[in-house]
Amino acid sequence: MTNEEFTLLAEMLEIRNFSKKQQLIGVGEVENYLNFLVKGLARMYFVRGNTEVITHIAKENEIISSSASFLSGKPSSYCVEALEACTFLSISRQQLQQLFDLSPRMDKLGRLMTTYFFLQKEEWEYECIRLDARERFVRFVRNNQDLVQRVPQKYLASYLNMKPETFSRLKHLLHRRLKNPPL
Amino acid sequence: MKNQQRSPYKEALDKVFHFLSGLVPLTRSEFQLFLPYLEIREFGKKVMVVNSGEVDRYVNLIVQGLARKYLPLKKGDITLQLATEGHIVHSELSFHTQTPSGPAIETIENTVFISISFDSLQQLYEQVPKAERLGRLLMADLYIRKDFRYFDQLQKSTRERFLEYIRTHPHVLQRVPQKYIASYLNIKPETFSRLKHLLQPKRNSRA
Repeated sequence: MTNEEFTLLAEMLEIRNFSKKQQLIGVGEVENYLNFLVKGLARMYFVRGNTEVITHIAKENEIISSSASFLSGKPSSYCVEALEACTFLSISRQQLQQLFDLSPRMDKLGRLMTTYFFLQKEEWEYECIRLDARERFVRFVRNNQDLVQRVPQKYLASYLNMKPETFSRLKHLLHRRLKNPPL
Repeated sequence: MKNQQRSPYKEALDKVFHFLSGLVPLTRSEFQLFLPYLEIREFGKKVMVVNSGEVDRYVNLIVQGLARKYLPLKKGDITLQLATEGHIVHSELSFHTQTPSGPAIETIENTVFISISFDSLQQLYEQVPKAERLGRLLMADLYIRKDFRYFDQLQKSTRERFLEYIRTHPHVLQRVPQKYIASYLNIKPETFSRLKHLLQPKRNSRA
């Protein structure tokens, strides 16, 4: 990206602040923003029956948005909510469209971002199918030490598609392992 | 694509043109620029297109035939996609990151693909600026469909999933072994057989 292109992008960004537990977007609303998380922690979820299923937890330097709604302009099936006080750099759909019309290089940026969303979703779905609860837990804890500290346990359980009791059982198991490593 | 191949596959290329111009306004002459990057690939029935553990080098548009993508697991294969004419099939994570594939892709019938390799696709993006926009919109389209299917599966009952799929894909029941459709719809094979009876017209027993 050239300096000019980045300046142009930077001018289109909006700073948006949300307090803890505040919603960025609710179910049935149209997602107008793509949000880059500068500070804080946010989650995306949908409600099935009377449980919340979390599909994405984002931390600093990650993008979170109800992407299918953002891309299609149709009502969102998901809710996005701040888990901690959050600061986002956001770009609206109209602004992004203007950017795309400027040059194929911006289209490229959009293509790579969309591909990234797609692959992230694909990976989440595969893990739900391929790994059992214990394997999902171990993999997540290994890769996301920081989130284990910051995110309430019930949310992590929901993200890993397991009951809160299962999560806490696995956590105790892990602790025992660490204290008494097998010889 | 070689010249002598072009005429018998004119119809196939027309399909590709219509597919792409559904995403972005595209002239025939712009489309001509894409042709050197495309390949026609033919597979017999029950042939592996991508094995699990192999890097998927191609994105394929099905011109004719039928293929399935599945995750081979110890507890049994899980069918992720049943792709027919006009559908795109590839192992997404593997193709876009050029890493070994989890899912495998296998043909069910004799199948003809119009494909583009990962390397050709990168060249196309560099040489033909409009391809970037097409790529962006294609990925967005695939993403939206994926999300739609995910919710659709979650919200509908087994019976609803079955009836709707058969209604919208009437030919698939004839073309695809039942166990694959059952796996794709996340329905037990026994349940699937039972549901098939719903399709037969009810007899009027009093007549």
